[in-house]
Amino acid sequence: MSIESINGCIGCEECIKSCPTDVIRLNPTTKKAEIVYQEDCQICHLCRMYCPVDAITISPEKSIPVIVSWG
Amino acid sequence: MGLIMKKQRNIFRLLILALFFIIVPIVLYNLGDFPKRSFLMDVLSIITILGFSLFLSQFFSTRINQKLVKDIRMVNVLKIHKFIGYLFISILLLHPFFIVVPKFFDNGVSPTDAFLTLITSFNSLGVILGIIAYTSMLILLITAFFRFKIYLKYKTWRYLHGYLTTLFIITATWHVINLGRHGTNPFSIYYILAVVSVIYFLLKTYLFKTSKK
Amino acid sequence: MKESTNNLSRRKFIALAGGAASFAAIAAMGLPTDWALNTTKVDVDSLSFDKIKTDVLVIGGGMAGLFAAVKAHDAGAKVLMVSKGRLGASGQTPFAKGIFTYDPKKEKLSIDEFAQAVSRSALGTNNPAYTKQLAEHSLDRVNELKQWGFFDSSLYNKSFSKPINDRNIPLQERVVITHLIKENNKIVGAAGFSLDSEKIIFYEAKSVILCTGAGGFKPNGFPICDLTHDGTIMAYNIGAKVTGKEWNDGHPAKSENAAACYDGWGDMFEKKPETTSVEIRHDLGVDMNYTAYINGGAAQMGPPGMGKQENIVVGGPYRPEEFNNAGGHQGGKKEGEKRPPRKEGKGGPPGMGGSVVGGSSAGMSIHKAEGIVPINDQCESNISGLFAAGDALGSYMAGAIYTQIGSSLAGSAVQGAVAGEAAAKYSKTVKTASISSSKIKEIKEEILAPLKRDAGYSAAWVTQTLQGIMIPNFIIYIKKENLLKGALAYVEELRDHHLPTLRAKNFHELRLVHETANMIVTAEMKLKASIMRTESRCSHYRIDYPEVDYENWNVWINIFKGEDGTMQFEKQPFNTWPI
Repeated sequence: MSIESINGCIGCEECIKSCPTDVIRLNPTTKKAEIVYQEDCQICHLCRMYCPVDAITISPEKSIPVIVSWG
Repeated sequence: MGLIMKKQRNIFRLLILALFFIIVPIVLYNLGDFPKRSFLMDVLSIITILGFSLFLSQFFSTRINQKLVKDIRMVNVLKIHKFIGYLFISILLLHPFFIVVPKFFDNGVSPTDAFLTLITSFNSLGVILGIIAYTSMLILLITAFFRFKIYLKYKTWRYLHGYLTTLFIITATWHVINLGRHGTNPFSIYYILAVVSVIYFLLKTYLFKTSKK
Repeated sequence: MKESTNNLSRRKFIALAGGAASFAAIAAMGLPTDWALNTTKVDVDSLSFDKIKTDVLVIGGGMAGLFAAVKAHDAGAKVLMVSKGRLGASGQTPFAKGIFTYDPKKEKLSIDEFAQAVSRSALGTNNPAYTKQLAEHSLDRVNELKQWGFFDSSLYNKSFSKPINDRNIPLQERVVITHLIKENNKIVGAAGFSLDSEKIIFYEAKSVILCTGAGGFKPNGFPICDLTHDGTIMAYNIGAKVTGKEWNDGHPAKSENAAACYDGWGDMFEKKPETTSVEIRHDLGVDMNYTAYINGGAAQMGPPGMGKQENIVVGGPYRPEEFNNAGGHQGGKKEGEKRPPRKEGKGGPPGMGGSVVGGSSAGMSIHKAEGIVPINDQCESNISGLFAAGDALGSYMAGAIYTQIGSSLAGSAVQGAVAGEAAAKYSKTVKTASISSSKIKEIKEEILAPLKRDAGYSAAWVTQTLQGIMIPNFIIYIKKENLLKGALAYVEELRDHHLPTLRAKNFHELRLVHETANMIVTAEMKLKASIMRTESRCSHYRIDYPEVDYENWNVWINIFKGEDGTMQFEKQPFNTWPI
C-alpha cells in the first residue's frame, strides 16, 4: 500500500515539505504528519529519506482504484 | 527452613517485578504490529523501552516497597536501586541519539542535522515534554551522584529526589505516549497503569503514613 | 472522491445523473461512482489574494531553477523563486545521480567533435548550439555545486539551500503556478495558489524563467507524478511555441510492483551524486517497446545474447551502426549512472533481473527534447520576457535520443545559469511590470472554478482514463495512424467534455485538476505531432513509416495556439532558429 504508516513522528514537517505529490499533511490537532492522500504516493521514498527519526514505512505495493465507467 | 522460605519469597517478589517491568513490555512489543526495522534498530528500541519500564520499577526498589525493605534490608534495596538507576538513566540519556543511528548508515540527512531537527521541533508537545523529562532526569542523575557533595540535609535531598522523579515520571510518560514509535493502546495502558500504581504507592507512603527514617 | 455520493439526496442525484434510475440504485448501494456532487469545504468567495513584485520570477526548484535564481541574482536582478514542491526535492532532480562534466584537460574529444558525435547518434535532431554550450559550461557549474556540498549527500535540499540562503533569495515552496500572464505582448508575471496558506498569489515580474521540468501522465514506476508539463502548457496558452512532443522516453519498470519507483531503481536514490565524462550513446529510445510489441509483451522479455533467441527481433527503430554496441559496455560499469541499464545490459534496472514492463515514464519525451522553443542560445522564448531552462526548454541539447549519461542534470545547471543571466539582463530593459485588475479577476475565476462547481468529474478518474487511452504500447510507443487517430478522438472527448467540469473540494484536488488539464493538452499535442511526423527517427517510431526520412523530415515540429484557439503546427528545419 505505498506509504503505509508514520510511527514516532516529531512533527518537524520534513516529510510534508519533501513529498513531491502532496501525500502527507500536518494534523492540526496532534501536530503530527498524517498520510492524507495515499492514492497519490509515487513510492519515491523522499519522505522517508528526509525524515530525521526514521518514522516512515513504505511498501512497494500500490493499490490502484478500480476502474469505473464514469467519473 | 524459615530462611529458605524467606529467600523463596524474595525471589518470588523480584520475579513479579521482573514480570511486570521486563516480560510485559517485551510481550507487548512482540504483539504490536510494528513495522519491521533493522536488527540493530529493533534492539535499540527494546533497550529503550526496557530502560523506561525498568526506570518505572525504581519506585518499587525504594522505601515504598516496605516488604522488600523488611526482607532484604535497606542497604541491599539501595544497591538494586542505584544499579538500576544509573544503568537505565544512561540508556534514557542516550535514547535521543539512538533515534538518529540509521543516519550513520545512509548518504542522506547527516546525523547531526537529524538530531538538530529532532530537538528543535518545538511545535510538537511530545518533544517539549521530552526535553523537560530529559532535563529533570539529568538533574536527578547529578544530584544522586554528588549527593554527599551538595551538602543538603538528607530529608531535603530526598524530597528533591522525589519531586524531580515525579516531574520526570509525568512528563516522560506523557512524552512516551505522545511520541513513542511503539505508542499503541496496550503500551499506553500499560504505562498509565504503572504510573498510577507508582503514584498510589508514593501518596500512600508520603501522605498517609509518616515514614520512619 | 467516493464519500460524497452518500451525502446527496436521491432526488438530486437522479436529476444530476440525467434521471437514470440505475445510477441512483448504484449510489444507494454505495458503489463507487465518480461523477459526484462537490463537497467543497473552502469558502471560495472570501479567499484573499497576495500580490508580490519582483524582477525575475523563477518557477521550479530543481537543478535549472537553482542556477537560474542564483545567476539572475548575481547579475543584479531582484529574484523570487517559487516551486510546486520543495527546493531540490521535487521533479526529477532528486533522483538524478550522474552529472556530466566536460573537462577540456582530460577529454580526448574537442567540444566540436563531441557535438558532431552527438549529432551522429541523434540523427541530426540535436541543436549543436546547446550541445556545445553544455560542454563549455558544465565544469564551472559542477565546481560551484561542489562548493555548495552537492556531492556530499544523496539529498539535495541542503546543498541547494546554501546559495539561496547566502544570497537571501526569497523562496516560496508548495505553490502551484497555473497561469503565466502576458499583457501588451510581453510577460508581466504569473499566478497560482499556495497549498499551505490556501491563498491565490499573483507575481508581478519583469521576466519569468520556467524551470518546471518535463512531465508525463502520472505514470507508474518513474518518479515524475508531480510533473505534468505545467510550464509548457502555461506558456502555450499565452502564445509560446513548444516542441518535441512526438519523442518518447523509453524507461521500463519492474513488472512486479511496477509502481514502486524506489524499489525499481535498486539503491540508486540513496546514492550520492557523481560526475560522468564523455561517452556518447544512443539510449532510452523505444527499441524495448518494439521487442515487446513483436514478441508479445513482458512475459517474453529478457536480455538478448543470453540464450533467449526469441528475443532477437528484426527491424524496429533504426540505430546508427557507430552506436550499435553502446550497450555492450553498459553492464553496471558506472556507479553514478543516471538511469538503469537497458535491455542490452542486465535485462532490467539495477538489482532487478526478472521481467520488465514498458511505459513507466509515459508521456515524457527525451530530456530537453521537448518544451518551449528557444529563439536563440540564450534560452529565450518567442514571448518577450519569457525564458525557460532545463527540461522545460525544448533545446534539443542531446537530440531526440539520450546521447550522454549525466547530461540531463548538467544541461539543466548550464541552461539555468544562461537563462538566469539573460533574464536579469532583459529585466533591466523593462520598466515595472503590473497586472491589470481585469486580468486578476479573470485568472482568479479560472483558478478557483473547480472549487465552485456543484458537481463534476474527479481529476483522479479523468487522469486514470487518460492513462488508459495513452499508455498502451500500441498508442504512444509503437505508433500507427489509425490508432493515433482513435486515441485522439478519446482525448478530444476528455478535452471538450471532462476538462471543463473537473471538480475539486480542497486545494490538493485543485492542484490535481490543473495538472489533469495540462496532461490532456499534452496528450493532444503528442498524438497530433506523432500523426504529423510520417517517419521513424530516434525515439519516435511509426510502424507504418519505419524508415528515417532525411528528405522531408530533417525538421523539428513546433506547436502553438492559433488565433482561433486551435492547436497549430509548423516545421522548423534542423540547425535553424525560429523565424
